[in-house]
Amino acid sequence: MPYPLLMPCRSRATLATLMLTLLCLALPVSARAEGARTAAEWLARLGPALNTTSYRGVFVYARGDQVQSMQIAHRFRDGMVEERLVMQDGGAAEIVRRGADVVCVLPDQGRVRLDQVVPSGPFAEAVNRSFMPGDRWYDTRLMGHDRVAGHKAVRITLAARDRYRYSHELWLESDTGLLVKSQVQDADGRVLEHFQFTSLTLTDDFPEDAFTLPGKGRETRRMPTDGTNAVPGPAAAPGESSPGATTRMDDWRLGWRPDGFEPAATPPSARQHAVAYSDGLASFSVFVEPARARDMPEGVSRIGATTVFGRVRDSQDHRYRITVVGEIPPEAARRIAEAVTMRGPGGS
Amino acid sequence: MDDRLRETLSAMMDDEADELSVRRLLSHPDQHQVQEQWRRWQQIRDVMHPGPASSGRVDAHGLDVIAGVREALDGAALDRASAAASDAPAPARHRWRWSAAALVMLSLGVGFGAGAGWESGDDPVVQDVALKGLDQEQWAQMNRYLLEHAQHNSVGAGRGSMGYARLVSVAGHAY
Repeated sequence: MPYPLLMPCRSRATLATLMLTLLCLALPVSARAEGARTAAEWLARLGPALNTTSYRGVFVYARGDQVQSMQIAHRFRDGMVEERLVMQDGGAAEIVRRGADVVCVLPDQGRVRLDQVVPSGPFAEAVNRSFMPGDRWYDTRLMGHDRVAGHKAVRITLAARDRYRYSHELWLESDTGLLVKSQVQDADGRVLEHFQFTSLTLTDDFPEDAFTLPGKGRETRRMPTDGTNAVPGPAAAPGESSPGATTRMDDWRLGWRPDGFEPAATPPSARQHAVAYSDGLASFSVFVEPARARDMPEGVSRIGATTVFGRVRDSQDHRYRITVVGEIPPEAARRIAEAVTMRGPGGS
Repeated sequence: MDDRLRETLSAMMDDEADELSVRRLLSHPDQHQVQEQWRRWQQIRDVMHPGPASSGRVDAHGLDVIAGVREALDGAALDRASAAASDAPAPARHRWRWSAAALVMLSLGVGFGAGAGWESGDDPVVQDVALKGLDQEQWAQMNRYLLEHAQHNSVGAGRGSMGYARLVSVAGHAY
């Protein structure tokens, strides 16, 4: 029995000693304390834990010089995820999710309901598997214990082994494996984005209306997130004005991608055409659309760890805009965008 | 210094100082006040975490700080150079030793100012797009990409809420 902990605090010095003792107990300890559990085993828990843990809390999310505080409620019940994410300051953005049905309430756009994107059968397996050989793409190390938002957590570092991905540092809650803190760093060690719970309650107990949509906002349109509404081929009419109604091109292929990135999401259309790729940790999405006059400029935009790279490409009589969005370095996004080739009648 | 900033600092106290705190500090308009706050913060930290400074942890007083940070910088550069010379994979552990202390002092003392080097192009091949120059329609386009990417991430790749957090963050920033 640790003797000092049982002593009444008679003086400031004793109190300080007690506090320091407690602090020392909370400091990171050797990875050996985790017993046989390896970084790979922890990472294998990460994906399921993100979905199947029920919790509520507040987390801060910072990238660049922007900091947002968000309230989250997440319930896993009857095999379905319900989640509500509310921005705490500025704006009124809110996201409510029931299974794959996601409604996003943005201040300027009213409600936007997202169409479903499902992982295809074989690809889903690839995603689950992708964390296991993570050592090929990341130097993975278990760094011991830490505390985040009052919860014991294990800290894992994943250092990129090539220049096509960022390095990550993850803190997983010890009991559930839930991600409670993460950082993304570039090759120079700069932290590009930071996510951390400041309060967290692991609970199944939620109020009735915890996951219902707020009364405000109107549902303006469905936003296609896949190729189902796209008219295939370069005959698709460019020039539409609504940003939510852009025609998605389906007749392209990706000639190159960084090693380790496997198809992660495909639209439910028949073509089984992947639009998103993941290495188990980072991911990127590829969008191909007819170019419009008022598109974003070509080039790269960076918001924290997210890179948005756009370029316009001519293919016979038609102009296309290729956009790569992902938590990958700009150089990787550029190479991916340049590896997109059109096929079919208008292809080159 | 507003309550929210204090709260954030407070929330970070039992953790290692980190980039989040740094960013908040840097976005504060009164840098003198920030330095004072930082000094107090550092004193509290010294009380809470006594003993020899861990790697990357520096004292907030005087010029030694900047020297120490420079030394750390040079050391990291040397490490990288030697790793490159031996043609070995980059030694990962060096990347993790960047403490917020070092970053704050870099920011305040050596001029790594808010936003500087953040969205500026260090890759000559890739042209930067200034986000602030986008009009409303282009912002909407950007949001749409991020939204769909978040959707791919969350549902397709099983990444949970992180993708949405990214999106909401941008939405809050843009409007």
